[in-house]
Amino acid sequence: MAPLPELTDDDRSRYEWQLWVRGFGEEGQRRLKATSVFISRIGGVGGTVAMQLAAAGVGRLILAHAGDLRLDDLNRQMLMATGGIGKPRIESAVRRLRDLNPHVAVEATAENVDETNVERLAGCADVIVSAAPRFEERLHMNRQAVRRGVPMVDCAMYELECRLTTIIPGKTACLSCLSPERPPNWNREFPVFGAVASSVGSIAAIEVIKLAAGFGEPLSGRLLNFDLREMTFTTIDIARRADCDVCGLPSPTVAGYNAARRM
Amino acid sequence: MRLRVQYTAQLRTIVGCDEEEVDLPEGSNLAELLLHVASETCRDAATYLLAPGGGLQPSLLVAVNNRAISTREARAVPINSGDVVMLLPPIAGG
Repeated sequence: MAPLPELTDDDRSRYEWQLWVRGFGEEGQRRLKATSVFISRIGGVGGTVAMQLAAAGVGRLILAHAGDLRLDDLNRQMLMATGGIGKPRIESAVRRLRDLNPHVAVEATAENVDETNVERLAGCADVIVSAAPRFEERLHMNRQAVRRGVPMVDCAMYELECRLTTIIPGKTACLSCLSPERPPNWNREFPVFGAVASSVGSIAAIEVIKLAAGFGEPLSGRLLNFDLREMTFTTIDIARRADCDVCGLPSPTVAGYNAARRM
Repeated sequence: MRLRVQYTAQLRTIVGCDEEEVDLPEGSNLAELLLHVASETCRDAATYLLAPGGGLQPSLLVAVNNRAISTREARAVPINSGDVVMLLPPIAGG
């Protein structure tokens, strides 16, 4: 296991307020600095995750998102700017993240996850964040997470509602346990506010930080469903399915996961 | 017996309310409840509960008293008076 990176004086100053957090401290910051996170995509949800992780000092962000910025992206995609309309989203995102924190390594590709590239894109990440609007992409990332035994934070939204769970392969339900196939009536364009996307993205970022630093209690084995219209927060117990096509028992080649030991 | 069915996300929008009370015979199971809801609701909402080829929609997640249950095992899950059944059609990022 590689030794944890040291903190610089700049790190100690930049992250001073979070270094005061109970259970985190310099050790947690060093663990976070040693962590690589893959995020697909970097729109309203994934862009917020990327921004919060960059601000917090994650070691490396690997980002995937195809296509050019459109005017109707700007109500929620906080890494983008009006001047970037018609240009690749990923370029705006990388520029913004490097402006925010030049000490974070940002690798970006203008492609979306599919069966042929998921291993190349997400294959060396310590944590995967699933924030894509298409279920096929989410299910590909889920398979990759289970195959490699790395955790995946899955986040979703609709109108003023959000859902989030942290999947620990071999221990908790995977995405396929919950929804084994693409829903037949999903429309990838749906009603939502940017503040809703940022809410679930910020919670996802905290999940990643806890996993990386090895403190707190991740949202594993539980699905958080919250409704910002009525301000109701519900936690639902979720369990692995023995007949799951992806993680079903007996366990596939999952090494198990312990954030505090691995990083 | 009487229980509460809560709608979320797209189902909530289509049905137009957060929750409803449903009356079912004693001894009913979760699959019977879902089929009952599908038969009483509008066609658009029913597509979230029923698979195109018949049976229950596999992608629908259901929570009974905050415990998630797949529609694949709904026939084996008894329901009781006072239960709260939340219907969670899949949603995604963006």
